[in-house]
Amino acid sequence: MKLGTRIMGAGFATAALMTAAAMVSPVDAKTRVAVGATETISSHNPHGDSISMGYGIWCQVYGCLGFFDFKTGSYKGMLAERWEIDKKDPNVWTFYLRKGLKRHNDGKELTSADVVHSFWRMKNDPQSRQTQNVKHVAKTEALDKYTVRVTTKKPTAPLLEFLFDRVMITSKDLYDKHGSKIADRKHPWGWGPYKLKKIEIGQRIVLEKDPGNRWASKSMPDELMFRVMREAEQRVTALLNKEIQIAQFIPPHLASRIAKSKNANLVPTSSVELMFLAMSPKHKPWDNATLRKAVCHAINRDAIIKAILKGQANRLDAPIGQGQYGYDPEAAKKMKVEYDVAKGKALLKKAGMVGLKVELHTPVGRYVNDKQVTESMIPMLKAIGLDARLKTPEWATLWANVQKGKVPFFYMGRGGVVDPSPAFAQYFETNGSPRIGFSNANVDRLLQKERATFDPEARKKVLNQAFAEIVKHQPACFMWRHKLLYGIAKNVSYKPTPTGRIWGYAISVK
Amino acid sequence: MLNYITRRVIGTIPVIILISLLVFMLVQAAPGDPADLLLSDEATPEDIASARERWGLNQPVYVQYWKFLVAALQGDLGTSFRYADPVLLMIGDRLPATVELAVVAILIAVFIGVPLGVWAGARPNSWVDNVGSFFGFFGISMPSFWFGIMLILIVSGFLNLLPSAGRNTYGIADDPITGFYILDSLLHWNWKAVWDGISYIILPAIALGTNMLGILMRVTRSSVLEVMHDDFVRTARAKGLSEHKVLWRHAVRNALIPIITVVGLELGTLLSGSIIVETVFSWPGSGSLLIEALNSRDYPLITGTVLTYTFIFVIINLTIDILYAAIDPRIRFDK
Repeated sequence: MKLGTRIMGAGFATAALMTAAAMVSPVDAKTRVAVGATETISSHNPHGDSISMGYGIWCQVYGCLGFFDFKTGSYKGMLAERWEIDKKDPNVWTFYLRKGLKRHNDGKELTSADVVHSFWRMKNDPQSRQTQNVKHVAKTEALDKYTVRVTTKKPTAPLLEFLFDRVMITSKDLYDKHGSKIADRKHPWGWGPYKLKKIEIGQRIVLEKDPGNRWASKSMPDELMFRVMREAEQRVTALLNKEIQIAQFIPPHLASRIAKSKNANLVPTSSVELMFLAMSPKHKPWDNATLRKAVCHAINRDAIIKAILKGQANRLDAPIGQGQYGYDPEAAKKMKVEYDVAKGKALLKKAGMVGLKVELHTPVGRYVNDKQVTESMIPMLKAIGLDARLKTPEWATLWANVQKGKVPFFYMGRGGVVDPSPAFAQYFETNGSPRIGFSNANVDRLLQKERATFDPEARKKVLNQAFAEIVKHQPACFMWRHKLLYGIAKNVSYKPTPTGRIWGYAISVK
Repeated sequence: MLNYITRRVIGTIPVIILISLLVFMLVQAAPGDPADLLLSDEATPEDIASARERWGLNQPVYVQYWKFLVAALQGDLGTSFRYADPVLLMIGDRLPATVELAVVAILIAVFIGVPLGVWAGARPNSWVDNVGSFFGFFGISMPSFWFGIMLILIVSGFLNLLPSAGRNTYGIADDPITGFYILDSLLHWNWKAVWDGISYIILPAIALGTNMLGILMRVTRSSVLEVMHDDFVRTARAKGLSEHKVLWRHAVRNALIPIITVVGLELGTLLSGSIIVETVFSWPGSGSLLIEALNSRDYPLITGTVLTYTFIFVIINLTIDILYAAIDPRIRFDK
């Protein structure tokens, strides 16, 4: 046989093999929705991670006390039917559990002992990465079979932000009988609408609907699978190939591939992650408020959103935006910092810092087009007279240094801001964390006051006063919230949530 | 021969200890604290301090290293900070996927690269040589991450022929026996799973093996070109053997030594190359595990994985040295 014939033969054989391989189709389950996810949980322990996707998965398996409903803009009970705050002592919260909730596989009823155990485990499990969620809780007691009393250390109005969809309710009896490792791996039974079918760390997590469950509706997929796909190209290709039905976090430059496709739709949702430019006053020259104000006037956020983020972001006029707790459009208008080069120049001149050398630190690949965004800020800063340079350290290095308060000027995001209280206490209250190192007595007073104000309207007012005070001193320029783009197969209906959690109850297969 | 093997095995021990020290120190010297990276954004300074205490990070580095070394000599590579599982167990779970990928990549490289090189070497400056050289240079110069993404875009995206990510389709495989998916499916006589495994492995294996294919093609070509002018080839021709027999029975056998050396060396490169390719294709092997460990500064997992790679590399080199003797009777190690 001649060489050319052999090569052609080998080519045909390869093509035949590839076609045969391509014909292998997945085993037909009932209805299955696969999600191409960017992150994954690292263990069977429901308290072993503190990532958005993990909270969403475990809440659907074990069940959680409740969650924030973005449709109504309020908290909704799940395992807890209702809750109340003691009128005499605002430290005392009482949660009333739903009666008759049956656990997967053995039908054991949910009781307050399970809830008390879960709070204890979150605090004491050596693997727990969720201790911060119960840091305000001093004591948890079972008042009767279905009633739990939670006592806080200080009055904490935003307590539900810490507890709802973050405290997974695991079984006390299974833990006592088997210990955490066996209970989590062999008996991951809960009261949520999905049972845990399989975890292959680094590859996929498979949930199976518990048909008899209170929250398991017919329209929900019978199987919900989370496949780890960190590369955006891969998620888009897999969606268009019908390997997955939901692709998380599509970067703007790939959006058109989905928009043009016959198989999938592009669905945007506003993220609750605040993007900001932080200037730490504990480092010179950033202790100068006039310099900080000059920087905020220098950044043309609209131009960046249009040119670099392709319109896929919502500008922040106030520290928070539409849909986040406490947002007031009227107050936001007053807080808006205009793009004004002349004003920036004048302020910089007033501060006596024209020609000052500064280094802007940015993560690369952590946020949408982060490097390009910050690259575009360099000429903007130069335009007001700052000699700015961009620094792009590896994420692990940058984040560790930011957490230690070693980075004076950086671009960053703060995710999960539904109720802004925890995030603003962390970044802008004295000793909240070393990250920005900002300290102001008025801001401290207002943030403490909002945490102790239980009337929602009064609390929103105090929150806005705190925001105005922060904007006045500008330890950070608030930039935008990215629009999270999801690719969703046309045979699937799903409205993504701003937190990035994926709820099976919100998915239906057409 | 036995003496030689014993000497080489004993010689690997200080190499592995030295590398463990080097990796341990480098990882510790890298900026970024595991507690900062692994705990939540909302973790309090107390949470961070408690994690550091629990993971032994408050102890001096030499104490940490000594404890690690003593445990490692007893077969315990520690417990992952992030996954809270024994490192050895985790590597054991993920390594078969990497080895499976590397083996298929080698098969692709050897079965395409060597014949191409032989044909090109036997017919210098012919069209076969030109085509072979093109593939050779293409393979050598193509970055695997870029080539991987191109394969995903073209073969999975445009042609829709093969899956773009992962190792298998959920629900097809039987229970694992060896951890090697295709082999296990064969052992279970589950042909659907075999095809499924092949369909998932083809693209990452091509992305991983193309570089080796290029190098093998070039080395084989020059090696064959060299031996084709040797006296024994002239003798074989003078005996009246066909050109096919001269090439495959005499020339290629004598050209094998440099080829085997390159295969051995490239096997190590394949393991490190798999780190990138596994990430691009979401292949759940030890390479992607190492990337995750590096990103979260999971010290025990980083050290354990690198040591395992080192160990494998040393074993491969030893095997290659022993193979020399089997292939070329002139090489004797006992002298």
